[in-house]
Amino acid sequence: MKQRSSALLVAIAVVLTGGCATRHVRKAAEPPRPVPPALIVLLPDPESGTTGRIRVSSPLGVVDLSVPRTATRVTGDARPGAVTPMSEADVQRVFGAALAALPPAPRHFTLQFRFESDTLTAESTALVPEILSAVKALPVPEVVVVGHTDTMGERKANVALGLKRAKSVREILATAGLPRSTIEVTSHGEGDLLVKTPDKTPEPRNRRVEITVR
Amino acid sequence: MFGLRRSGCVLAILLGTATPVLAQQPAAAGHIKTSSGAAYIVRNNATIAARPGTAIFETDALRTGADGTVGITLKDDTRLSLGPDSEVRLERYMYAPGEGGFAMVLKFARGVAAYVSGRMAKLAPDAIRLETPSAIVGVRGTTVAIRVEQ
Repeated sequence: MKQRSSALLVAIAVVLTGGCATRHVRKAAEPPRPVPPALIVLLPDPESGTTGRIRVSSPLGVVDLSVPRTATRVTGDARPGAVTPMSEADVQRVFGAALAALPPAPRHFTLQFRFESDTLTAESTALVPEILSAVKALPVPEVVVVGHTDTMGERKANVALGLKRAKSVREILATAGLPRSTIEVTSHGEGDLLVKTPDKTPEPRNRRVEITVR
Repeated sequence: MFGLRRSGCVLAILLGTATPVLAQQPAAAGHIKTSSGAAYIVRNNATIAARPGTAIFETDALRTGADGTVGITLKDDTRLSLGPDSEVRLERYMYAPGEGGFAMVLKFARGVAAYVSGRMAKLAPDAIRLETPSAIVGVRGTTVAIRVEQ
């Protein structure tokens, strides 16, 4: 009885390891799937014409690009390729259709309030018609009104304060003729300062409402 | 009395099931702004026509056919567009400057695409990753064009 059960164990072990071995052999026989290579091109900003920087990393190396219209090609089995220039004609030939499908650049307006008041400054009031015409120029416009604060007070309370400012701007835009339902209001509180300051610093330029039309 | 307690129970169950749904309702990450030809959003294995104005959510993919192009603008003003026969997935997206929450992972699966950075590249550049099968691109406020060859 004891012998029979140990024989059974051996048989099971053989089947298991045998099965494993075949699976291994099969896997090794499959050709490894090649990783699709990528061509990565740094371009100037379509509106401002300025160029930033990118860092391209693969498991085998890193390459930095900072010159407009330069490119690197990365395959799965080597360091990123040397950085080479790419002519505007080649950029258009490869990426023309994608670049033509880029949505229009979002436009930004900053509104400031009179000191300790819900009333816009004269300069900000003068911007309202311009905001309306920017909205009308877009096929599917979104209007986002974001309230900002300085770093006085608590972070959480500043999110609430920024929202209050944003809502009062929504009322101004709705009165000027924008459908209220198309205007989204939100607050970044003290999380997105126009003028970088330490915490607990009063700064009038940070107490603002930004409007994005996109 | 008994009935009241029971209806209170039902109410509690209703609230209990309804609130998480409301809480989990994800906010749109962005919207389709341009499209032509065969252009789709792939969401939970379903394919939706990518028409201008349609909302895009985290984990959605954009896919185009042989004659298709599509362009989106995300909440932080990032712009992304695809040429024909292309696919890019918005793997991860969070833009909550009030709470200091930032994340963006775009997976370029195939074809050609253009990316123009938005506010996130200024506020939290390290939170942005453009992934291709063979390389990862980190950005510092800029425009990038990517082709994934097959």
